[in-house]
Amino acid sequence: MLDKKVKIKAVRDLGAGNHLIVIASPEQARLVRPGQFVMLKCVENTGENPLLRRPFTIFNIHRNARSGKPAGVELLVKEVGVGTRRLVSARPGQTLDCLGPQGHGFQLPSDLPSRVTTACLVAGGVGIAPLLLLAESLLALRVKPILFYGGGTVADLVLREPFERLGIDIITSTEDGSHGERGLVTEPLAQFLRIHPRKDIRLYACGPWGMMRAVHELAVGHDLQCEVSLEARMGCGLGACLGCVVASPAAEGRPYLRVCQDGPVMNSRLVRWDIEPV
Amino acid sequence: MKPNPNDRAPLKGPRLGVEIAGVHFKNPVMTASGTFGYGLEFARYMDLNAIGGIVVKGLSMKPIPGNPPPRVYETASGMLNAIGWQNIGAAEFVEEKLPGLRDYDTNVIVNIVGFELEEYLEVARFLNDHPGIHALELNISCPNVGKGGFHFNKDPRDTHRITAEVRKASPRLPLWVKLSPNVTDIREFARAAEEAGADALSVINTLVGMAIDVRSRRPRLRFRTGGLSGPAIKPVALRMVWETCQAVRIPVIGIGGISTTEDALEFLIAGARAVQVGTANFYEPAASERIALGLAEYCRSHRIDDIHEIIGSLKDYE
Repeated sequence: MLDKKVKIKAVRDLGAGNHLIVIASPEQARLVRPGQFVMLKCVENTGENPLLRRPFTIFNIHRNARSGKPAGVELLVKEVGVGTRRLVSARPGQTLDCLGPQGHGFQLPSDLPSRVTTACLVAGGVGIAPLLLLAESLLALRVKPILFYGGGTVADLVLREPFERLGIDIITSTEDGSHGERGLVTEPLAQFLRIHPRKDIRLYACGPWGMMRAVHELAVGHDLQCEVSLEARMGCGLGACLGCVVASPAAEGRPYLRVCQDGPVMNSRLVRWDIEPV
Repeated sequence: MKPNPNDRAPLKGPRLGVEIAGVHFKNPVMTASGTFGYGLEFARYMDLNAIGGIVVKGLSMKPIPGNPPPRVYETASGMLNAIGWQNIGAAEFVEEKLPGLRDYDTNVIVNIVGFELEEYLEVARFLNDHPGIHALELNISCPNVGKGGFHFNKDPRDTHRITAEVRKASPRLPLWVKLSPNVTDIREFARAAEEAGADALSVINTLVGMAIDVRSRRPRLRFRTGGLSGPAIKPVALRMVWETCQAVRIPVIGIGGISTTEDALEFLIAGARAVQVGTANFYEPAASERIALGLAEYCRSHRIDDIHEIIGSLKDYE
C-alpha cells in the first residue's frame, strides 16, 4: 500500500528467539486490517544484504499513549535466519524500509452470508501473530472467539497476555506438556468440534503447514469454513514476482495463487495441501 | 553552422534520450521482464512516467501456470528464481493491462515466451497488430522451463532461426533478442541474432544456479535449479555486455544486477545504449525511477550535456 522509511521504536525480547518489534508509522497503522502484513527491510541501507525484505504479519496496532490514535505497528519476529537475526538486533531509532499494509486479510463474519456465533482461532507458535486483531474485530461483532494455542514447549506460547486481557477462552497445549494439555493443538480443537456439532462455527488458523493442514481437514470433516494465514518466501510482496505462490485446486486456469496478494489469508479449500510452498 | 538554441536548452538539463530501432526513449532506464509484473503493480510506489520503458512479464499466447513452489530463494547478494513463465496470456494482457499502461508516458516492451517455435510466432503475430506496444523482446534464454525457449539458446543456428522467423511474424515491431549468459561465447549468439534481423540485444538473462537446504538435503527450489539475479551477477553481466558491444553494430541493452546509478553508468560506459533494472525492483519498488533521476543528476554535476557522451566511452590503460 505505502512504501515508507520507518523508525524502530522498541525491540522486546520475548524469549526462545521471539521478539516484539514496534515500528513507528501512523500512516501505515491507520490502514491495517486484521491478517495483513508488512514487507520490512532487515537492515538500515536499502542496497545492503540481505537484499529482499521479509514479510511479517501485523500483530497489533501501536497506539499513542495519550490520544489513543494509531502510531505504528507491532510485529512478532522469530529468529529463523540471516534476515530476522539482523532485524531483532536492530536498535530503537534505526530506520528501515517498510512496505504495507499488504495483502488480503481475514473475512469477518459481518462480510459473510451465513451466521457465525463462534470462531475457533488456532495458533501454532508465532502463528499467533495475526489472531489478536482478528479476536478484537470478532468481539466487536459479538462473535465469541476461542483461542487454541499450541507450541513445542511453554516458551513458544508467546504474547498470551493481550488475549487474556480480552477475556476470551484460551486453551493451550504443548508437545512436552510444560503448559496446558500435552500434545498437538489440533487435539483439543477436535474435541471441541466433537462436543459442539454446530454449523455456526468458523475456523481461523495460522501456524506450521502441517498444523494448518490438520485444521483444514477438521473443518472439512465437520463441514465448516476455515481460513488460513499462509507463509511463503517472498520476492517483492506486491504481486509482481510470482515467487510466493501456493498451489490451488479450485482456481480454474489459475493453479497457483500469490500469498502476497491473493493471501496471506485464504479459505483453506483454495489450498492444495499436498504441495508445501516453503 | 550556427547552433540552434533549441538544441541546447541548458535550463532543461542534460539530454538523456536514446533511440533503439527507431523508437525514442526519454531516458535509458527500463525495468527488466519478470521483475516488474505488468507495470501497473508499481504505479502506487513510483512515477512510471519517469522511466524510459517497461518490459513486461514474459507473455505466451495461452496462459502458463508456472512451476510448483518453492520458487524463490535469496542467496548472497542475489536471489534464485524458478517461476516457470507463469503469465496471464497475451490476449488478457492486451485486454486488461495494456490500456492502463498506455495512460503513462513511457514505452511498453513485451517479452515473449513459448515452448515451441510456433507458439512464439503466434504471440508475435498477435501482438504485432496492437497499438501501444513499442517493441518485442524475444525470450530464448529463460533457464526455468523444462523445454522450449532455453533450447533456442544452445546453438547459434537455432538463435538465428527463431529470430528470423519471429522477425517475419511481427514486421511492424522492433525485435529485441534477450540472450542467455549460460553459454561459452555470447558473441556467437549475438552475431547470429543480428544477422537474422534483430534490432537490439538484451544482455543478459539469469545465470543458472542452485541452493540446498542442508537440514532436509533438498534443493531450495522445487525446480531444483533456478536463475540467479541481483548484484551478485553484475560483474559477469557487465563483461558480457562489453563483449557483445564489440561483436555487433545493433544496440545492446545492459541487464544484470543494476541497483544504483553507478551500476547503470558502468553498463553505459561499457557500450550499452540503455539498461534494465531487475531484482532491485523487488526490494526497492522505486529503484528504476531513482536511477533515472540519478543519471540526470550525474550528468548535471559532471557538465555532461548528452547521455551519448557516456555511452561506449570506456577508456583503456595507456
